Amino acid sequence: MASTLPTLAIPGQRLAPVSSYAAGPGTHVQNANIYASIAGPVLVNPASSKTAKSTLSVSRSPLRTAAPAAPQSAPKSTAPGPSKPRYNTLPAVDSIVLARVTRVQKRQATVSILVVLDESASNKAGPPPTTTTASTGGASDNDNIEAILSSAANPENHSNSDELRFQALIRKEDVRAVEKDRVVMDEMFRVGDIVRGTVISLGDQSFYYLTTARNDLGVVMARSEAGNMMFPVSWKEMRDPVTGAAELRKVARPF
Amino acid sequence: MPLDTSTTYPLTKLRLDGRRWNELRLLQAQISTNPASSGSSYLAMGNTAIICSVHGPAEGRRGDASGGSAGSSGAVVEVDVNVAGFAGVDRKRRAGGSDKQSSRIGTILRSAFQSHLHTYLYPHSTISIHVSVLSADGSLLAAAVNACTLALVDAGIPMPGLLCACTAGMSGSASTPRDPTNDFLDPLLDLSLPEEQELPFLTVGTTTTVPVGEAAMIHDDEDEMKVSMLTMDSKVHCSYVETMLAVGIDGCKQIREILEGVIKKSARR
Repeated sequence: MASTLPTLAIPGQRLAPVSSYAAGPGTHVQNANIYASIAGPVLVNPASSKTAKSTLSVSRSPLRTAAPAAPQSAPKSTAPGPSKPRYNTLPAVDSIVLARVTRVQKRQATVSILVVLDESASNKAGPPPTTTTASTGGASDNDNIEAILSSAANPENHSNSDELRFQALIRKEDVRAVEKDRVVMDEMFRVGDIVRGTVISLGDQSFYYLTTARNDLGVVMARSEAGNMMFPVSWKEMRDPVTGAAELRKVARPF
Repeated sequence: MPLDTSTTYPLTKLRLDGRRWNELRLLQAQISTNPASSGSSYLAMGNTAIICSVHGPAEGRRGDASGGSAGSSGAVVEVDVNVAGFAGVDRKRRAGGSDKQSSRIGTILRSAFQSHLHTYLYPHSTISIHVSVLSADGSLLAAAVNACTLALVDAGIPMPGLLCACTAGMSGSASTPRDPTNDFLDPLLDLSLPEEQELPFLTVGTTTTVPVGEAAMIHDDEDEMKVSMLTMDSKVHCSYVETMLAVGIDGCKQIREILEGVIKKSARR
């Protein structure tokens, strides 16, 4: 009986009698037979104990490399190479993101998330990559990270495209780990800055919550009032190479 | 060329479009056509073309939730049918809203799928089906049922089996009792619009049946069909109904094989 399992099930297709398998997700039982309820590859989960029956389930994911009898580790094999970070996935708690500041208020800064670094991928890659590795290593679905970031620094460019991206808030108390009550938001971020942060909460319907309260988090790219790209000089200061003027920021450690 | 099937058919034994009595029109279908919806399909039976998209199961609208306990035991199926103004032979300019035909199709689809799907798995939710008829050339209801089935499969909504529908008619008015000695009327499968307008027809929808009791143990591989939907708008003498039904069910069987092929093909991709 077990040898007649189809690779691909169609709703209403009889898979096996209940005497040989237990019915799992995507199946239903009628008259002591397991039938498929949805279309997809048939998976067999081996029994946990000797007395229990193996579970028969129909998966929703399309049939790619999954063998009929393979357990559910199949989707993982379709993931790209292990060391390659993946971009533009959904932000999750603890994922590192690059975001552009769109608004600075007294108690919070509003940012829009440009790039999301997968949490699992960043774990494998060790320390979170800097922006330079992000732009060179962008061999995944999104190759125009450089374009995103350079357009980011352009102050005329942050009207429409930002509204389409994930919005996030950096609250005043999440900006840095020390002297939280002395934080002045105007001295931490300026509109148009590119900030590296990590997601602390999925927040409500409209905003994610980010924090920059770590040495490696904070502003990574910023333009001065004169419009020149600035370089970091300390953890709270950046300097314009042309005019020499210094501006206050919560700077991310560059290396 | 005479449009009157009832006079030309007995002579040639071929229908207006050249088919024999038991032939389906060319059925082409595709699923996952609209990435923005949970499930979608395109289905063409001859010159009847339909696109269908399914949204959900999703939380119902506020108004519905307070309206009563309708969704508390299972999902509510909503069907919205839109027949495009350019679907027919002459362009119809409608003042918005739905006409009688589309609302009727919508009602039948809703009751058919409401009882067919495993809605109990999704309490307090709504499955909304949107059917757009791009081109109408007969068997609209049957084509809509098939398109909805494909879209629901694409959306991954559990169902006990594929619901496939087909039309069957008689090649004459069939208003008098059948004469077994002089039986000149043939049943017709999958009617097109000119046939539908002048011949009596019914729409039958079937799903795979569940073998009961002893039969389940013996006929394991036999895929029996179960009629789960049957509508008829025209008048016909009752002695012909059985023939029409048998032909319709046979057509449903053929359609089910085609739809299974479509699903398998898209799952492999």
